Amino acid sequence: MNKIVRHPASFKDPAGFIFESGGKIYRQVNQRYADEFKLLIDSGLYAKLTSQKQLLSHSAVADNFTGDNEWFTTILPEQLEHISYPYEWSFDQLRDAALLTLSILKTAITHGMILKDATAFNIQFHKGRPVFIDTLSFGKYDPEKPWVAYRQFCEQFLFPLYLEHYLKTDMIPLLSAHHTGISASLTARLLPWRSKWNLGVRLHVLLQRNVSERKQEPNPRITFSKTKLMNVILHLESIIKGLKNRYSEQTTWSNYYDETILGPQYLAAKEKLVTEFLTGMEFSTVLDLGANDGHFTRLVASMGKDVVAADSDSKCINGLYAYAKETKSTNILPLVIDLSNPSPAIGFGNNERAAFGSRMKSDVVLALALIHHLVIGKNIPFDLVANYFASFGKILIVEFVPREDEKVKQLLSSREDVFDDYDERGFEKSFLRHYSIRKKQVIPGTFRVLYSLERI
Amino acid sequence: MILLYVDPGSGSYLVQVIIAAILGALFYFKNLWWQIKAFFTRKKEEPPVEDKPDE
Repeated sequence: MNKIVRHPASFKDPAGFIFESGGKIYRQVNQRYADEFKLLIDSGLYAKLTSQKQLLSHSAVADNFTGDNEWFTTILPEQLEHISYPYEWSFDQLRDAALLTLSILKTAITHGMILKDATAFNIQFHKGRPVFIDTLSFGKYDPEKPWVAYRQFCEQFLFPLYLEHYLKTDMIPLLSAHHTGISASLTARLLPWRSKWNLGVRLHVLLQRNVSERKQEPNPRITFSKTKLMNVILHLESIIKGLKNRYSEQTTWSNYYDETILGPQYLAAKEKLVTEFLTGMEFSTVLDLGANDGHFTRLVASMGKDVVAADSDSKCINGLYAYAKETKSTNILPLVIDLSNPSPAIGFGNNERAAFGSRMKSDVVLALALIHHLVIGKNIPFDLVANYFASFGKILIVEFVPREDEKVKQLLSSREDVFDDYDERGFEKSFLRHYSIRKKQVIPGTFRVLYSLERI
Repeated sequence: MILLYVDPGSGSYLVQVIIAAILGALFYFKNLWWQIKAFFTRKKEEPPVEDKPDE
């Protein structure tokens, strides 16, 4: 019998929980959720949502693994390659996740069910698209009641989207500090004046804030109807569909690499070398650190590998997501990650949401045109960078950008040069503590050196 | 019974009641406006079949 490890984030909903056993993730359904679970299946809702790939499918496992008295049944969901969190998503990713939640809600209502929660953590990106993973989020629909998860939906989806839309700066990372969502009162304080003329902002932000701040009767008599609920849902949907990412006027992201780095010849030479280094190697997953516009993410994705692309530039990540969506790529997961400050472990006991580094394991790690940004741009010594990179995977393809390089000169032009060991020797001294060299080659036409390293 | 493990939030039901009422009134006037417009322009314009709320 395999050991059962209950997932540390799976404690809020008494309907069931997630556990790991023998390297697989299962979900136990408890007795108290039996009726709803049967309704989910018998109403045809499960079949409908899984056929549209909106809900993660599962297979039934009859055994009571946990030996729990509360046990009703166990399901084995389709296993996910990666777990990412809302504060790591770009605008379009959060927007698509919001629209998926509303679409599922509408379908549920037509099947006599409703979403009893609307947390963004119920969504994961799987095979290139958002998918709802919490099979136990469906409750029986009572037409006389409004939506129980309305406030949660606003706080986790609508408000962060509104903030990015109106403030035109990265606001989604705020969800890391406010992981249960951004409140209406905080949103109202942050939104600019002009937004307050907007009907959606008036109703869902300002009105909601005002009503929630007023003293409530303990059990107000409230009558509601399906039509009224649909009006509210359709309104939310039309608002979110109307919110555009702030990059939409600039479509230059695909030229980003060329403009900022050394031009097309350099890129072609590097592409050739990376391909050479990877040829004949057995691997299936790649983590592209500092992915920029995803040029090399796309290269390895085209080899049929599963790639996670991490970059702190939300514009690049949003563009890469748009690319993956447009080309229906099922093997690219772009995430907004600042490598000098990657997502921490958060939630109760620091156990609910894992740190970026402990979630991302990969056969090959790419770190191209990145090292100088960390070492010179962020003062992180080679030793620490090497140690962190080594935690992600066995093979590292890393580009060393020396002092003679234009980019490094630029970085050093505005600051004191305190980087005595910033040279090839210093680089190798630190990295060879963790790795051995498989291949090493200067990128033709540049001073840059590309290494293929293997963890010792 | 819906398992209410999520706190709907103070006043969250009341907000939805008010929002639904306002949206309902907006659709009513929007439809009325369509009808008036159709009457004066004497065209057989129909209000949109599936009326979606706008911002």
